[in-house]
Amino acid sequence: MIQFERVSKLYPGGSRALSDVSFAIERGSMVFLTGHSGAGKSTLLRLVMMLERATRGQVFVNGRDLGKTPDRHAPQVRQGTGMIFQDHKLLNDKTVADNVALPLMITGHRYSDIRKRVRAALDKVGLLEKEKSWPLTLSGGEQQRVGIARAIVSMPPLLLADEPTGNLDPKLSWELFDLFREVSEQGVTVLIASHDLDLIRRMGRRVLVLSNGRLADDIPASIHEH
Amino acid sequence: MNINKIHRKSRAWLRRHSYSFFSSLGVLLQHKIGTLMTVLVLGIAMLLPLGLYATLANLEGIDLRQEEWGAVTVFFKPGTTQSEVKRVAEELKINLQPDTVVIISPDEGMAEFRDVSGFGGSLDMLAENPLPWVMQVSPNSGAPAIVQQRVEDISRYLDKQENVERIHFDFKWLQRLGRMMELGQATVTVLGILFGLAVVVVVSNTIRLDVASRTDEIEILALVGASHAFVRQPFLYSGLWYGLMGGILSIVLLQLTLLYLGRPLGLLLETYGTVFSLKGLGISNTAWLLFSAGFLGWLGAWIAVQRYLRQLRVGGRLGRH
Repeated sequence: MIQFERVSKLYPGGSRALSDVSFAIERGSMVFLTGHSGAGKSTLLRLVMMLERATRGQVFVNGRDLGKTPDRHAPQVRQGTGMIFQDHKLLNDKTVADNVALPLMITGHRYSDIRKRVRAALDKVGLLEKEKSWPLTLSGGEQQRVGIARAIVSMPPLLLADEPTGNLDPKLSWELFDLFREVSEQGVTVLIASHDLDLIRRMGRRVLVLSNGRLADDIPASIHEH
Repeated sequence: MNINKIHRKSRAWLRRHSYSFFSSLGVLLQHKIGTLMTVLVLGIAMLLPLGLYATLANLEGIDLRQEEWGAVTVFFKPGTTQSEVKRVAEELKINLQPDTVVIISPDEGMAEFRDVSGFGGSLDMLAENPLPWVMQVSPNSGAPAIVQQRVEDISRYLDKQENVERIHFDFKWLQRLGRMMELGQATVTVLGILFGLAVVVVVSNTIRLDVASRTDEIEILALVGASHAFVRQPFLYSGLWYGLMGGILSIVLLQLTLLYLGRPLGLLLETYGTVFSLKGLGISNTAWLLFSAGFLGWLGAWIAVQRYLRQLRVGGRLGRH
């Protein structure tokens, strides 16, 4: 699903964010990405979302060579990727349902279809009753779950999360990771960047460890997936 | 691509547009005062060239009556016979169909001169009548440009007649009127371009502020996979609305102005013996104005959004904290 081949990323000004990183992630698996802050986790996710281009090496996402994908096709790449952000990135002047509907609005789905899918996504994250609420009236954990609902509503084959539990207590974090596990069990590839080492260990999934922009370790899953 | 796929794609396209359409209207209604002020500025900006245009169109339509500008006076060479004069008159009537042709013989001329000048008997001392045959030609009445053309045609025709000594017509003021109209039309063009530019700038600036206040929304849309076209659409619609509303307002203002000016202007023109009623823009001009106004608004919005969209390119600021 995701394949990096000797990928390096240099930012203008010369700072090196990734050096010679290679790995592959199977379709339908759940993988954690960890490392100290500034290790290159965000850069790696930005490359997968086609927010950045690799300076060297090749990035494949869902069979597409992003190095050969023109800028104008970046929206298509992002439509195939559900992204969850640490700061939720919800629109506070739109209801929960309208926030979740955004990816479907963009692709021009039928309104009745949008309603159905939005309700299904909200049901999955357990927020169906908050459909008409405003994001700011929700707790941090609920807002993050709205973000997840938005990421899965268009049923993308790939889900990316950048420090999704950054501001949450351990119990809520665990619930959130459990939700990601459920999603991955439906065949969605899930890649989560997190520095919550304790939780990651308890999940027992494959862990990619970045250090100073290099892939320092690749710990295989300790439990059998599926 | 098969028909079904094209159908599906065009329906998705329509749905995306209807979304942009309604969201742009929603934003305009949300900021009622701001929208109103922008539309007011646009309406007044468009009123200036539009008003001048309407004034010129009305002036062009004035029917010039012959008593106002007199006739072309033709002096024949001494020794021209009556039959020759009549022949020229007949041929002129056939060729150019003027309104009237009046022939004044030397005797009639002398009689008139005697009456008017008061020289009376002293004129009897002249051995022979020194006055030439004279012909007065009045072209048909019409708009200034047409009358001028007719006068020129008649003059040119008569100039070629070998019996004609001199042609007199005081059409300097007619020419001046024509030149003034040309100047007015050039002014309309210049004003139209300048104020059209103003419309683009005003809308562009308004939309720029609108974009700046919605950067979070745009960023999120782009992150979840919105194309530049999708991000742009609601703003382009806003620009279109601004332009159209400004255009409609300028037409309303113009009609009100015409209504207000109509009576005093009519009274003024009455002193020139002209019956006059002010005309509005007419359907085709109105359509043309609304189309241009909408387009200029759209263009202004496009310029404003495009500047911002450059930041959303791959490798840009998008998604950074």
